[in-house]
Amino acid sequence: MLTELDYSAIILTFKLAGLTTLILLIISPPLAWWLARSRFVLRPFIEALVALPLVLPPTVLGFYLLISFSPNNFIGGFWLSLTGDTLAFSFGGLLIASIIYSLPFVVQPLQSAFVNLDKDYLEVAATLGFNPIETFYKVVFPMVLPSFIIAGALGFAHTVGEFGVVLMIGGNIPGETQLLSIALFDHVETLQYQQAHLLSFGLLAFSMTLLVLIYGVLKKRQQRMIHA
Amino acid sequence: MLKFDLKKSAQHKPLFHFQGQVELHGVCAVFGDSGAGKTSFLRVLAGLDNSFCGALEWRGETWQDNTTFIKTEKRHIGMVFQEPRLFPHLDALGNLKLATKKAKNSLYTITELAKLLDFEPLINKKIQQLSGGQKQRIAIARAILTGPDLLLMDEPMSSLDQHSRQLLLPFIKKLSKKIPILYITHSMQEVFYLSQTMILMNQGEIESIGDPQSLFLNLNLSLAKHNHSGLMVNVQAVHWDDEFSVLHGLIDRQVVLVAMEKPLSLQDIQIKIESKDVILATKKLECSSLQNCLRVRIEQIEALPTSSVLLTLSTGSQKILAKITIKSLNELTLEVGQNVFAYIKAMSISALDS
Repeated sequence: MLTELDYSAIILTFKLAGLTTLILLIISPPLAWWLARSRFVLRPFIEALVALPLVLPPTVLGFYLLISFSPNNFIGGFWLSLTGDTLAFSFGGLLIASIIYSLPFVVQPLQSAFVNLDKDYLEVAATLGFNPIETFYKVVFPMVLPSFIIAGALGFAHTVGEFGVVLMIGGNIPGETQLLSIALFDHVETLQYQQAHLLSFGLLAFSMTLLVLIYGVLKKRQQRMIHA
Repeated sequence: MLKFDLKKSAQHKPLFHFQGQVELHGVCAVFGDSGAGKTSFLRVLAGLDNSFCGALEWRGETWQDNTTFIKTEKRHIGMVFQEPRLFPHLDALGNLKLATKKAKNSLYTITELAKLLDFEPLINKKIQQLSGGQKQRIAIARAILTGPDLLLMDEPMSSLDQHSRQLLLPFIKKLSKKIPILYITHSMQEVFYLSQTMILMNQGEIESIGDPQSLFLNLNLSLAKHNHSGLMVNVQAVHWDDEFSVLHGLIDRQVVLVAMEKPLSLQDIQIKIESKDVILATKKLECSSLQNCLRVRIEQIEALPTSSVLLTLSTGSQKILAKITIKSLNELTLEVGQNVFAYIKAMSISALDS
């Protein structure tokens, strides 16, 4: 059966994924909008930077984050002076890492929805008297709502599933930085296969359900909405 | 008063130059060939295209000059695009309600417009369930609901069914008494039915501004080639035949029959006689269904590129054009100055009462 530590790992994982998703859903829309519309020369560079976690081994990302989180370096030092706490091996550090690690999963669905959104509708909104901010809330957001849900779900699921990065920067402190995927790894290492099975199957079922929902329902709905 | 002097060039070649001023009341038609710049003109007036330089002024307010650019949402205009552009995530009512959000004083309520434009049963339907004509009627209502100071319409009728057209034309004419309208169209009928003023566009420039009748008759303008397809002719109304739904009228004291919907009152009308619908004969035809026969004199014969000729025929004070093949011309041995009979089917005359 699952131990208390397993439960605290599950709760911690969902807390981390929830917070990460929330923050990503705030910072991603403007970024995705800019990536979708801008003709700035450095745009491809920024776009590549955002997409980097998709291709880079998570350990590479984790390694660089670990270095920059060190109190001797700027970010880690700044955090220490601000909170009196170190970033490495803390929940705050995990949160920052997760945001970077899951960023492309939230930005990309939004970006593609914004690219597919016909400029015609924005023009109509302007002739109805809406300024760009009102246009975003009254027209763009409701039109690409399915993509927002997809982006949030992908960001959440991806954060739940992260391993390499958290292994590098999180350490394995139960209740503080021990996440589901690492607890699972521990069980396998110590040959506790029954618990490993339980955790693995739970994660598998969760991810599968989410993806079926995304590909079966939300993507179709978004297609219908945009290409009416 | 709308004053404009707007330029756009690409790779040092001038693309558009719109210059002029026009007093807007009622409908002002914007007429010209495809690619003449009609849509670009409306878009720059609406503030949807900021790639033009120059100056634009509406009712004394500067909309654009070297330092100013008033954004679309601040210009208090309504715009009807060529395609309806209804928001697909909302139903018909949702689209209309969105338009009222920023409206200060709309002339009509949603309910009134639903009645006037005949879309009451459609109001709760999804956009995807509506036909093109239904969507466009709702799009027009949406533009009106914003309570605009100026309404811009880009060929709103081009994709419409007959029912929507017949409903909309009189409505737009009535509406234009309250809101000035700039109206792009390809249809001569719409120009003559709706507008007192016309902006003629040709090759990216404003060629002329004036009343439609005099512009169409001015042979120096690019419109002359449109006349190949036919001219508008004034018909003096004499009598309405209810039994057959035809109007008996006179063109230079010669009788013509025009098949049309019952006019509200017996008044003179303008009809368009298409040059390809005119049949010429040197003798009177017998036993045919042709209703209209006019005695005319051939004033001019002009060769056209496509093995056909264009004949200018005079009824006395008015002119009709006839397009026939060179073969017919030769077989009938027609010459300038000759008197012939011009036959026109009553059905092929289109009329819009004014």
